[in-house]
Amino acid sequence: MNTQHPIPDIISQHLAAYHIQTLAPAWIELTPQTDQIQSLGGAWQSYFTTNLELGSSITSACEYLQGMLPIQESFELPQVQMRNDKYTDILAFHDAQTQTDWLLFCDVTMSTLQLQEYQQAANELNLLKDQLNQTLGRFVGEEVAQRASNGTLQFNIAGERKVITTLFVDIRGFTPFNESHDAQDVMHALNQYMDCMLKPILEEAGMVDKIIGDGVMAVFGVLASDNNSADNAFVAAKSIQAKVKALNKQRGNEGQDQLGVGIGIATGDAVLGILGSHERRAFTAIGRHVNLAARLESNARIGEILLDEASVTALDNPPSFALVSLTLKGIGKTHAYSLTS
Amino acid sequence: MIQKKICILGAAGVGKTSLTAQFVFSKFSEKYLSSMGVKIDRKTVDVDGKQVNLMLWDIHGEEKYKKIPTSYLRGASGIMMVIDGTRPATLEMAQEILQRVETELGTIPHIYLLNKSDLTDAWSINDDDMQMLKNTGNPVFLTSAKTGDNVEASFLHLATALVTA
Ligand SMILES: Nc1nc2c(ncn2[C@@H]2O[C@H](COP(=O)(O)OP(=O)(O)OP(=O)(O)O)[C@@H](O)[C@H]2O)c(=O)[nH]1
Ligand SMILES: [Mg+2]
Repeated sequence: MNTQHPIPDIISQHLAAYHIQTLAPAWIELTPQTDQIQSLGGAWQSYFTTNLELGSSITSACEYLQGMLPIQESFELPQVQMRNDKYTDILAFHDAQTQTDWLLFCDVTMSTLQLQEYQQAANELNLLKDQLNQTLGRFVGEEVAQRASNGTLQFNIAGERKVITTLFVDIRGFTPFNESHDAQDVMHALNQYMDCMLKPILEEAGMVDKIIGDGVMAVFGVLASDNNSADNAFVAAKSIQAKVKALNKQRGNEGQDQLGVGIGIATGDAVLGILGSHERRAFTAIGRHVNLAARLESNARIGEILLDEASVTALDNPPSFALVSLTLKGIGKTHAYSLTS
Repeated sequence: MIQKKICILGAAGVGKTSLTAQFVFSKFSEKYLSSMGVKIDRKTVDVDGKQVNLMLWDIHGEEKYKKIPTSYLRGASGIMMVIDGTRPATLEMAQEILQRVETELGTIPHIYLLNKSDLTDAWSINDDDMQMLKNTGNPVFLTSAKTGDNVEASFLHLATALVTA
């Protein structure tokens, strides 16, 4: 605070009046170095159901203070639930000048309930993230473990250069859906759609590199396969769109909201790295086409698969695509091949 | 009557409120309501023929940007440190909390609850982690607030340890 310009009295008075109204404070003066009520004031009836007798012990009326009095040093107990749905800040302090002990009770129910909403959303999101990571850990872990044990796991050198195909898939409209449904429904829907995305990837020898929010990044051409990486990725993409379609039909019949997915695929050189020894995050791919695949995905509409030139060239039996020209963030003008189911 | 204050601590969503509700009211709900601040529940238990009144402080979950105020722990006799057995990150969080409590208030007797033991598919605390917890010399319980498995046993264990200490 700027001491050269102290708060004018009138402002102090307004601030005090404002806070006294919102906090409905009650204060209790204690007989020094005891827990006995010497005097009391403010809205104490709204904090205590029983009458507070002068000279009686406050600890028996307020269980939160048990073991905390007499006041050794000032302390604060924020947001204690004194009565149902009522939150109170309890402050205890010793006034050295007058050698008196004080307790101050402030009603913080309104602000706490508001904060509760944010806290709830944040905590649910964290739980969701942990659960997704676990799903991912299991999928990647099982797949890699299985292939490693039967000798088909083909990557081993960190820093190996290889042509791979990267696929991004993302649920469209998930954020508004997330905000308008309760966590249980969101979790259930997310699991259903994740299932549609993860299974085809694994069936086509893809590796789930990471799950980003409501989408997945997968790479093909790292795990051994009979087909080339672009073919694998494309087959997986078509299968994802088909599965999502089937799921939407089922959800439609059950009267539930339907979501769609967009997919981007690009092929190119990448450096493969093994990140640390942690069993879950064993592997990552770094290459220019990875970014391209991500950009294509963010341009793909619901039901659409967008492929870059290199991927289409690599396909064994390319179907007929629609040619689209796009301006991609960080990449510029480019064209891509589109298939919409 | 003997009275003991027990604080229930851990990361958000590990099941602190559910464990307390299961122990005190024999109730469980799938629905998650994040706790704010602190709420006290009480239960009287019998330890070697003596009535012990447990004052249970169900405290909000520790978060990166929302630490548990150590003022809540003044006068506590014991701590139930709850870990979500399906989320290893909550184990690290438990260690962090204990360390802070230790530096600010000194050692308070505690036991570890590895909760959600009914979720066997998602279980992700491995033997090494278990051993690491056991090596601290503090009791470790596998609990489920959902099925009630080991809930009463763990509270009674702590109560007994506090009374006979
Ligand atoms: N399956 C299963 N679910 C549990 C168990 N314990 C808690 N849960 C669920 O986990 C979620 C969180 O439980 P809470 O008891 O609210 O967790 P908390 O630790 O009090 O959370 P905060 O107050 O936010 O820190 C709820 O959806 C509970 O239903 C358990 O043993 N098994
Ligand atoms: Mg809680």
